[in-house]
Amino acid sequence: MNRIFILTPLIILLIICIFSLVYLLSGKDPNKPPSALLNKDVPIFESSSLYNAKDIIKTKDIKNKKTLINFFASWCSPCKIEHPLFFEIRKKYPELYLLGFNHKDPTSDAKKYLKDDGNPYDFVGVDSDGLIALEFGVFGLPETYLINEDGKIIYKFMGPITMDILKNEIEPLL
Amino acid sequence: MSSLVGFLSLVFAIGINFYLFLSRYIFKFQKQKFNLFIRFSSLLTLLSFFSLMYAYVVSDFSNYNVFQNSHSNKPLIYKISGTWGNHEGSMLLWLCILSIFSFFFSFTKNIEDNFQKLTLIIQAFLHILFGLFIVFTSNPFLVNSILVNEGLGLNPILQDPGLAVHPPILYAGYVGYSIVFSIAIAGLFQNTDDEWIYVAKKWSLISWTFLTGGIALGSYWAYYELGWGGWWFWDPVENISLMPWIAGLALVHSLMMVRGEQAIKKWIVFLSILCFSLSVFGTFLVRSGILTSVHSFAADASRGIFILLIFFIVTGFGFLVFLLKEPKKSNALNLLFINKVSALVINNILMIIATLTILLGTIYPIIIEVLYNKRISVGGPYFNSTVIPIMIPGFLLMSIAPILSWQTNKINNSKKYVLAFFILSVLVILQSFFLDFNTWGFVGLLLGFWIILASIIAIFSSYKIKINIKFFKIINPHVAHIGVGIAIIGITCSSVFQNELDFNLNEGDKFNVNGKTVLFEKIETTNEINFQSLRGKFLFDIEKNQSKEIEAGKNYYPVSKMITSEAGILHQWNKDIYFILGDQKNNEWFVKVLINPFVSFIWLGVIIMIYSGLIAVSRR
Repeated sequence: MNRIFILTPLIILLIICIFSLVYLLSGKDPNKPPSALLNKDVPIFESSSLYNAKDIIKTKDIKNKKTLINFFASWCSPCKIEHPLFFEIRKKYPELYLLGFNHKDPTSDAKKYLKDDGNPYDFVGVDSDGLIALEFGVFGLPETYLINEDGKIIYKFMGPITMDILKNEIEPLL
Repeated sequence: MSSLVGFLSLVFAIGINFYLFLSRYIFKFQKQKFNLFIRFSSLLTLLSFFSLMYAYVVSDFSNYNVFQNSHSNKPLIYKISGTWGNHEGSMLLWLCILSIFSFFFSFTKNIEDNFQKLTLIIQAFLHILFGLFIVFTSNPFLVNSILVNEGLGLNPILQDPGLAVHPPILYAGYVGYSIVFSIAIAGLFQNTDDEWIYVAKKWSLISWTFLTGGIALGSYWAYYELGWGGWWFWDPVENISLMPWIAGLALVHSLMMVRGEQAIKKWIVFLSILCFSLSVFGTFLVRSGILTSVHSFAADASRGIFILLIFFIVTGFGFLVFLLKEPKKSNALNLLFINKVSALVINNILMIIATLTILLGTIYPIIIEVLYNKRISVGGPYFNSTVIPIMIPGFLLMSIAPILSWQTNKINNSKKYVLAFFILSVLVILQSFFLDFNTWGFVGLLLGFWIILASIIAIFSSYKIKINIKFFKIINPHVAHIGVGIAIIGITCSSVFQNELDFNLNEGDKFNVNGKTVLFEKIETTNEINFQSLRGKFLFDIEKNQSKEIEAGKNYYPVSKMITSEAGILHQWNKDIYFILGDQKNNEWFVKVLINPFVSFIWLGVIIMIYSGLIAVSRR
């Protein structure tokens, strides 16, 4: 009985070390949490356009085309940093459908933001209550998702995308 | 040049320790010579650390580490603190403090030679492990392969006077447990009489006092620098420091109480190993980059694996020795319904449960991610609803434990205590009835005041009041507990009764905070040496002549392109008024004002605890 008590710390130590070792060896990056949605179907969503409330986009509208979904907001300063890159993507890959979701933003601010900095998106959907972001599992703005023709999420990035990330991680998938 | 000196002296120091380690088996040393070698290697490690510091002070960018983490524009104090503001330098600081502890331990008198030697050999072993870790994975003396005349800067959030001293003090606490660990292991090997317990007591008190100071500094820094209005966030890194702190508290109490009981001695050895294991585990979690926070400088798998190995060796070795060499003689505990020993046992059990609860919450996300590839976070709600209730009975016990008797169930003057508790309860009930009622607020206030009151009654009824050093030493346990009581009141009030006000303001607007008129005077931007500052200036209580000016804003650090928030805090003895300047929107500034009642009590309580820690160290 006494022995078991004394052995306990060693057992706990072993468990902690094994899990930590597996974690370290798996090469996980704490800045890139695994997405439960990777390689899964796009969540079902429905959103109206920022410019015309009657213009609705639904999940099935992005079927059969490669889509880049970007969550942004006018109050999000890192979004401003990545913003110009979308024009570049736009120019380089005219085929790619760029869908922006305006996250928890007053309409007027969002419009002003896209007027000042330009609008690279094919469609700007309104996500005023953040429900769509919730479905996608968005941690924080900005966040970017790449959807393939079968409607599966094949890539996700948290934080502002940079030239490096665009070149090394997104472009190979396009 | 200084890098070369630093590197060579580090390698040389490790070499000496290796030699000393072998000396146990191959070469035999006289005590004098042995101690001389230990001190020499300590001085070399120190020299190594100071040469790195020198490289920082003179902005020697030919050193890669300096180039990565410093900038010639930085004020001198941040050049110095930059030495440990990065992974490599902080590991060198770790090693340096380990050496300092060995250095001072080698001067300890009145202990058996062989015992002292064995303790120092274990220290030398630790020095070798961490020294090799630095040399092979985290060398701060690498040469910069490109010629540059400017550095990349230090993380601006770390450019703060509080944070300049926080790491050394915290490390002194963490690493101080290494000597307690070595003493306990040496005690197990030699299995001599109990003198090691008295030696361990002093060192564990020193470590605990440093750890308390380090945690408090970090917490205070988070309070005014992070701009979230709180001082404790159950961040993994905070939890890591809290675990050895609680285990160390259990250790200190056990050491104070032990009167030859074998069971408690066994327990002390266990706690000594546990404290240092938790310290090394904390170092592993932070340094491996498994956790992301302001503390993790770089994520590098090889480092993580190396330090995990060290953790495994040290902890495994410690507990294995404990398993094989456990003290044999058993001597029954004098457990009664309520006496000192039973109070101690209950308190120790509670503290260990609390430590394990925190440990579970801290490593649970890692386990889940390995098993299910899902990221979860365990935060405040888990810890608040588990750790706090576990600690409450301990706090209750704490108020009367020092006056309990060793041999009997009797409590002297018990009537006084019952009466005092009754009156206090009525007062607190009235307070919560007339002001706002909150269960946690009620419990916290009652506990805090009760601890203070019971300790004061104990002082006045048990001892003759004299004003001399001896008297302060005698009442020291009560004083420490009063400190805890004060801190509990501060913690309760500032978290439960915190008040938050949000405003959208233009320059020149007046608004109302807590019945006082505040003027939002203006926004000012200035260029400082290494940052640009944006400040909102507020005049508090403008109706009075002596209105107070508060500045809240942000700093922009162009070198590292980072923005830090700088909260403006108006300290009053009974509350802090905490201003946070938010973003500008349509020419209006978002301003958040938090009223944190009795925050100063937390720091006061901590200062009292540190004071009584120091008194206890000096007590023999």
